[in-house]
Amino acid sequence: MTLMTMIMKMSEGLGRTFAIFALTLIFSIPLGMIVAWLRMSKNRIISNVTRFVISILRGTPLMLQLLAVTYGPYYLFEISVSRNKLIPVVIAFAINYAAYFAEIYRGGIESMPVGQYEAANVLGYSKMQTFFHIILPQVVKRIMPSITNEVVTLVKDTSMAFTVSYQEMFTIGKQIANSQTSFMPFLVAGVFYFIFNGVVDLVMGKIEKSMSYYS
Amino acid sequence: MKKFFAMMLALVMVLSLAACGEKAPADDGAADGDEVKTFVMGIDPEYPPFSYIDDNGEYSGFDVEVCKAACELLGWNFEVFGVNWDQKLVQLDAMECDCIWSGMTILDSMKEAGYVLSAPYYYNTQVILVKDDSGITSSADLAGKVVSVQLGTSGEALLNEGGDLESLAATFAELSTTDSFIKCFADLDGNAVDAVFVDMPVAAAYVAENEGFTIINEDLGAEEYGIAFRSGDAEMCAEMEAAVAELVANGTYAKIAANYPDIDPVNLVFLND
Repeated sequence: MTLMTMIMKMSEGLGRTFAIFALTLIFSIPLGMIVAWLRMSKNRIISNVTRFVISILRGTPLMLQLLAVTYGPYYLFEISVSRNKLIPVVIAFAINYAAYFAEIYRGGIESMPVGQYEAANVLGYSKMQTFFHIILPQVVKRIMPSITNEVVTLVKDTSMAFTVSYQEMFTIGKQIANSQTSFMPFLVAGVFYFIFNGVVDLVMGKIEKSMSYYS
Repeated sequence: MKKFFAMMLALVMVLSLAACGEKAPADDGAADGDEVKTFVMGIDPEYPPFSYIDDNGEYSGFDVEVCKAACELLGWNFEVFGVNWDQKLVQLDAMECDCIWSGMTILDSMKEAGYVLSAPYYYNTQVILVKDDSGITSSADLAGKVVSVQLGTSGEALLNEGGDLESLAATFAELSTTDSFIKCFADLDGNAVDAVFVDMPVAAAYVAENEGFTIINEDLGAEEYGIAFRSGDAEMCAEMEAAVAELVANGTYAKIAANYPDIDPVNLVFLND
């Protein structure tokens, strides 16, 4: 197999790799917000249950979660497995990443000094207004580097989708490697991921820069 | 900045939609009225020469070609689905494919679990692959050596506790397992291990393309390759077997086999009846 055929074949999977990446971010970023809110709830039961769920999601391998989401419904309730593997893959990724994002959000929100809430209260801001107009913009700025970390990790984690044989780029690379007894596809995959993350770095850098309004 | 975000979001959505819309399930043909059955063949795309990705990037291999020809005979649409070998039976159960047909060893555990299994079509043997200059000439020489085997293969089952070759494995310095045979071979090439336990055709294909390796064939473990169907699909299995028998009768089977020099025709059951 020529290098060109190899690259072409693997780029076919790149679209699916990107689909996992983009859809996971679209769903997990807001979902993480909800989870963070539940986690910080004043209700002890809600906050402890959420804490437990987060600890399961962070404490078990993503690979197992992918298997559970894809095949669990079939074995437990006889709901047939989705022919479009993108659906279970994105669900598993989004839930897993939401747990990580939730903890990052919580860290950011809890790092805000109480004085700001008091000051906002004195100025007549409602709780909602305080959060959305005063706290949130500062939180976003603070947590951006941690978010970038997660996003970069997500790019590489997409390769995990091979467990449920979703034909993304790395799955195809692995198949070619064994078919042609060559390590070349892994090198190609490495270059693909590196370029992908180069773009991610660029975009995240731009976003961070746009928020550095004090310098 | 908002414009930039809006554009990124639009791009993401378009690409995601494109990904969602791709390749709707196989039943499309049926919608045209004349109920054409689509047969989805489940293969391990990492198992040359039986099933793999060829130089053009297409699924190919002995098993794939035979199944394709059989489907043509039966008038079924033919489709290939690449399974993850570690959970092939889960994927079969979950209706992701209609059979597992990919140099698969028939195991008693499959029969016990109720899968419909075809008649065996290939006699496989386990062999030992070593470097030419290793000085290893028989399985007895493996004492105190490091031996590698692929996870989930029948070779691993033989060498593991309770397997037929358990006592042989006990003489090894270490039994190393990896998730694909390409890594076993790389370990052997790089001197991390002294020998690899592997199926005969896989070893033959590797030796044909790489110099400096020798196959030791000692009749270590004989086994049979077959096709697995879901428990309710005995009829489908019979139809497929009949179609393959016809391919054997009209010579197509032998012609396909001739394309794969690493598969010894002596071991092809149907060509030796």
